[in-house]
Amino acid sequence: MMETSVALEGVASQAAAAKRAEEHALVRKAQGGDRLAFEELVRQYDRQVLRLALNIVNRPEDAQDIYQESFLRVYRNLGRFRFESSFHTWLYRIVTNTALDHLRRRTSRREDQAPAPEGADGGTRDFFDQQPTPHPAANPERRLMGREVGEQISAAMKRLTPRERVVFEMKHNLGMRLRAIGEMLGTSEETVKNSLFRATQKLRESLAGLR
Amino acid sequence: MQRDENEKLMPATAGTPEKTPPSQNEDGAPGNSKTCAEWAPQIVLLAAGEELDAVALERVAGHVAECAACSAALDREKELLALLAERRKNPDAPLLAECRANLEDALDREEERGWLGWIGRAVFGSNRQANWSSNWLEAGTSWSAALLLAVGFSAGVLGPRLLRHPVAPVSPTTQKAAAETTGNLNGDTDANGGANSDESASREASAASTHSVVSALDLPTADLAGINVMRPDGGDLPQVRLQLQAREPVTLEGNVNDDNVEQVLLYMLNDNARFCSGARLDAVDLLRARNSDPKVRTALCHTVHTDHDAAVRLKALEALDGAGGEGEGEGMVLQTVLDALQSDQNPGVRIEAVDTLRDMAAKGQVASDDRALAVLRDRMAKDPDTYIRAQSAAAIQELGPHQKF
Repeated sequence: MMETSVALEGVASQAAAAKRAEEHALVRKAQGGDRLAFEELVRQYDRQVLRLALNIVNRPEDAQDIYQESFLRVYRNLGRFRFESSFHTWLYRIVTNTALDHLRRRTSRREDQAPAPEGADGGTRDFFDQQPTPHPAANPERRLMGREVGEQISAAMKRLTPRERVVFEMKHNLGMRLRAIGEMLGTSEETVKNSLFRATQKLRESLAGLR
Repeated sequence: MQRDENEKLMPATAGTPEKTPPSQNEDGAPGNSKTCAEWAPQIVLLAAGEELDAVALERVAGHVAECAACSAALDREKELLALLAERRKNPDAPLLAECRANLEDALDREEERGWLGWIGRAVFGSNRQANWSSNWLEAGTSWSAALLLAVGFSAGVLGPRLLRHPVAPVSPTTQKAAAETTGNLNGDTDANGGANSDESASREASAASTHSVVSALDLPTADLAGINVMRPDGGDLPQVRLQLQAREPVTLEGNVNDDNVEQVLLYMLNDNARFCSGARLDAVDLLRARNSDPKVRTALCHTVHTDHDAAVRLKALEALDGAGGEGEGEGMVLQTVLDALQSDQNPGVRIEAVDTLRDMAAKGQVASDDRALAVLRDRMAKDPDTYIRAQSAAAIQELGPHQKF
């Protein structure tokens, strides 16, 4: 049994090493100007990047901006990447910095405080409002309730500071460890824990009525 | 006494203490006088998962087991996270496709700027780069000639790039051949492909391209745009339709016995971070029918070990029921069940693991080896869940008549 366990661990670590080596080679190629290699790197990570951005900024058009700005920064600075951290860590450092810049810019511009207009009715809805609830069409009351829940969650998320929001999403959306998040944000694990704790506390207070 | 890092978390700003009677507000554990408010940060980390080390985990779990207020606080944390997770969505395929297209355009512009910059530097020198466009007429005849050459050269290099069309990784011909031969593939580009009456040619193509469609798709870069499972009445295998978003969209239809379908489903489990939980749950459910296939068994074990969604891990554990087979396969399944019982942070998954272990023991599929007994003893003594402790003790009794412990 122990032999099986060791064998499984061996296979897993070999697979991880092979994946790292493959990624390393791709980065090298991209650094050498191979556009296809760069696009493959993008494809490996871009769904997660967009998902993170979407949940941080709540608005698809803002998420698109963060997506594009992040990957362009990666493209422009790839030559400076020295493999001192994993590509994954380096990429997410850029993405989180871009998202933080974006949130701070948005916070400082009053006109951006309002949610983006959506839909034919000219109403204002943001990302959470647009998320469908399971089988909403079958039950208008449930659909209405789902929208109200979405609005309350959206309002609760807006109470978080940019850093709290980024930490919360990286932990609960991407499932990253707090230590890794700290490395990406260039801060200590302790600070990240505090941000997560404050974010959770604010959300708990804001959404108490829903539970 | 070792003081773990987690204990240093926010002693002064631990947050709102739970409104509990004073008698409940003190931790009754010997040598530990933390208030519930002081436990709050650790409860947040416990609910977040995979953040507490073994010592801290044991302490906070021990406290939660004894303190009604903190136990309720933990439940509230989990409810909150579940509520937020329910509302959290993946970007849809059109949004991702739009992002990719825009990025490609932006990269094209970057490359063009790079070439123009290079030409500017080559012609006028780097010190004049900033204002070369306004001063280029000042250059002499020879420089003008050089500029014209450079412009011609760059047009030759950039022209084809600007005019190029994306080349599909899967040719319509390949899709068509496979669709016609296997009867289960509908490439969107092949909607009006027409019937091929030459059956022998089709069979030859089928033999040559059993895996060609999916492997030509380059799964690591393709996206899943949709998965629909249709369950026929009776005992037939469910039919699945997988819509894949590559440079050309492709739709696969069939059941899990179809190699292309199986390959995509396995890929979804093996590279689970790229797919949403609902799709992974469907993949596990569909693959369950072939759980004695070594590839499927390995993917299910991988899912139990690595999937970040407890519901998917739990379903994968269920799907391993009867997957053991003989020898190495049996060892792998047992190892996976034991790993889940010992290490999974989710009590639901651990409950499924201990139940599975007891089932396996009842069927004589578990030898009473040291590793199994060690895990069960550990859970019997330490698991915060009463049911798991009781089931572990029962499993030890079932497995252990021949062992001294």
